[in-house]
Order: sequence, then C-alpha cells, then structure tokens
Amino acid sequence: MQAFHTLFKTEFKLSLRGIDMFIFALCMPVIVMIILGVVVGDRPAFEGASYTFLEQSFGAVTTIAICAGGVMGLPLVVSDYRHKKILKRFKVTPISPSLILAVQLAIYAIYSIVSLLLVYATSAICFGYDLKGSWLYFLGSYLLVMLSMFSIGILVGGIAPNVKIAGVIASLLYFPMLIFSGATLPYEIMPTALQKAADLLPLTQGIKLMKATSLGLPIDKVMWPVLIMILLAFICTSISVRFFKWE
Amino acid sequence: MEAAIAVNQLYKSYGDVRVVENLSFSVNRGEVFGFLGANGAGKSTTIECIVGTRKYDRGTVSILGLNPLQDRKQLFERVGVQFQETIYQDKIKVAELCEVTRSLYQAASNYRDLLQQFGLSEHLNRQVSELSGGQKQRLSIVLALIPNPEVVFLDELTTGLDAKVRREVWKYLSSLKAQGLTILLTSHFMDEVEALCDRIMIIKEGRSIFHGTVREAIAASPYDHLEDAYLWFTDKEELENASFSYPV
Repeated sequence: MQAFHTLFKTEFKLSLRGIDMFIFALCMPVIVMIILGVVVGDRPAFEGASYTFLEQSFGAVTTIAICAGGVMGLPLVVSDYRHKKILKRFKVTPISPSLILAVQLAIYAIYSIVSLLLVYATSAICFGYDLKGSWLYFLGSYLLVMLSMFSIGILVGGIAPNVKIAGVIASLLYFPMLIFSGATLPYEIMPTALQKAADLLPLTQGIKLMKATSLGLPIDKVMWPVLIMILLAFICTSISVRFFKWE
Repeated sequence: MEAAIAVNQLYKSYGDVRVVENLSFSVNRGEVFGFLGANGAGKSTTIECIVGTRKYDRGTVSILGLNPLQDRKQLFERVGVQFQETIYQDKIKVAELCEVTRSLYQAASNYRDLLQQFGLSEHLNRQVSELSGGQKQRLSIVLALIPNPEVVFLDELTTGLDAKVRREVWKYLSSLKAQGLTILLTSHFMDEVEALCDRIMIIKEGRSIFHGTVREAIAASPYDHLEDAYLWFTDKEELENASFSYPV
C-alpha cells in the first residue's frame, strides 16, 4: 500500500510535468464542448427531437479523456518504461507487475474523472446543461467505458515489445475510435454504412449507452454492450498481467 | 553455512555465439567477489543471468538459497542491484527516485544518510537527468543500497568517478562488508579490486581463466601487481589460442 501510494504520487507528478495529458485529457474535451455549445448548442439534435445537440453530445465528449489516457497515455508510458529499462530495474525489486499497472490505471482514471467534472461544469455553467437521465446509470456506463478502454491500453502497454509498436497500435485504436465512435464527430451525422462499421468498436457501444443514460432515454439491448465490455476488460487485463514483459 | 551466491555451470549463448560458458563459482556471506574481464567478456550478461533479468540456457543459480525467478519478490527484499548505464523516468528528481525506491521495500535504510554518505545531499531536488555522470553513478550505488541488502550486485561500480570519490566509495563499502554485506562487483580498476575483493574471477569470452584470491592471481603470474598479472592472464590465453590455431 505504501509502495502504491508513493509510486502513484510520484508518477502523477511526472505525468503532469509531461504536460501531454493536461492538454489532451483536460483541455481538449472542454474546448470541444465549448465549440459544440457555441456552434450548435441549443439546436435540437434532429428534426423534432426533444433534446438539444449539446445534450446529446455530452456523454461522448466525456469519453475523450478516457481514450486519450487509456488508449494513448497508458500504453505509451508503460512501453516507454520498458524501453528505457525502468521496468528491468523494477524487476530486481519486490514490486509486482500488477502494482505497476494499477498505479498507471489510477492516474488515468483521475485524469478522466477530472475531465468529466470540467466538461460538466463547462456545459452547465456556459450552456445551462442539465443531465436529464439518471446520474447513477450514467456514471455506471461511464465506468464501464473506462474499464474497457483502460483494459485495452493495459494490454497494449503490458505486452507491446517496444514503444514504437505500442505507438502504432495505440494510434490504430485511438484515432478510429475517437473519430468514428461519436466521441468527436457526432455518430448521428455519419452515413449508415459507417455507423454499422463504427458499431463494432467497443467505444461506440459505450457512448450509445452513455447517450441514452444521460438523456434518460429507454435503453434497448443493453445486455450485449455491457457483457461485451466486461468480457473485453476481463480478457485484456488477464492477458496483460499473465504475459507482462519486463524487458 | 550456505553460500550467498551460488552459480553452477551457467551457460548462455546467442545463436552460435557463446557468451557465458559453464561458469561456476560461489560467494560466501560477507565476502567481496570481483568479476573481471575486458568489455564484452560476458560480465554484465552473467550478472543479468544471476539476478534473473536475462534467460540462460543451462546451469543453476541461487542467491541466499533462493531462486531469483521463482522467489523473485521474497529475494529482492534482501538484494540490491546496480546495472550499468541506468535510465530513469523522465523529469524525476533525486528525492522522488529515492522515495519511490524506498517504498518498494519492507525494511529499507534511510536514503538521506546514504545520499549524505555519497555526497548527493545538496542535489535532492534536482532532476536526475541534470546530474553529472559521476553523480548519476553515485546515485545508482545509493539506489542499490537503499533496500539495506544482504547481497549487492554492482556492475562497474566506480566508472566515471574521480580518484577521491572512488576511495570514499571503497571505504564505505568496506564498512558495509564489515557488517556482513556480500558484494559481487565488476570493475576495470585493479587498484579497486585489490582494495576490496577477497576473491576474483577473470573471464574471457565467457570462460573463466582465473579463479582465486588476488594474492593467488599475482603469485601465479611473473609479476608483483594485480594489473600486470591480470593482463598477463588475458594475454597468455591469447598466445595459447594463437599457437593452437597456427601450429608451427
């Protein structure tokens, strides 16, 4: 516990000194929200919709930080530590791989939650946003998205042989998900074919869930996305801990 | 009493290149064992095989009676390791690095005393990357000693340190030795080896060409100093190999 605490504190400081996450996880979602709010904020989401475009987008924007941290930040930090032989040095200490991964998970979870609060505050204060659905269900789906995205990140970081490959895999996962799942580009304006392809991405399923819970809409077929995301998280985490590479 | 470090018939190759060829030695508790050889002779590879950061092909290794791979967590509470040329986390400060290292162990020493001992106290709040080569080297020794180990591996202990600091490091290690610390070190400085080591092994291309005390090494050669004896051992091998390859 003491090791976790000290490592968490130090690694968080190092991450803040690195500034990337401050920009991509904390500033960017707020900026996206402001742009959305200014440009299309109070327009209805579609002809005759009972909710605005901004209300519909809230859930998706809160996942930007999860993706930036979980799919980009997390795997890159872990593979960078492997590349620099920092993990090799850890190997000749009593630390366990799961502690190393847990510390990074906790750091990116904090970034994501702070981002959620900032995005909520921005939309509530500047654009009068109010979550229509249930906070409980919304946070539940938020946690589920975090769980599945972070587990993908852990898998890539835990077993990618070097930082270059981790970077390539992370980009291949990050950019399509960020663009096509509805996190930045609204899912609703995409052509049907693209929507179908995007449905295969776990983030798309998560965002649909968050959209429905934040708007208080009935959720149909909720079991499948939930099960798939939990299964994904379980498989990725087990593989990464089991096949963790120190070097 | 069981040996602090026991290596038996250790063998490691990369394809056809044999890097460590059937090395066997043991280091008793409280002993300082010097591992000598030219760059590329296989010293670091051997250390890495012993501490478990590199896989070996054959042989057995134990430290404090434990297996470094199977008993990793238990063993490394009691063992410190300094690798050559260590890179640390980006932008990490000296104090943070020491604090993190300390937190990994159940019974660690006070790193402030160690930093004081190694002349690094005034650099607590500096980033590790800003330290000079010698300061980094001293810091890497401090980190290996933070666990308050029973056995410590020091790869190229004093490379990059000036003469005065080297003497201070020797003195401090000798005092730890007197308290029972077992040390396995590699070094290119024969004065250091003479000052610290009880026994040495000289290796060349992964094979042992001498194993014994410093005094025995000198006595077995036509010279009076370890450095001359060391060169004689390594050259002698070359001459023998040469005459073997080109019979007259």
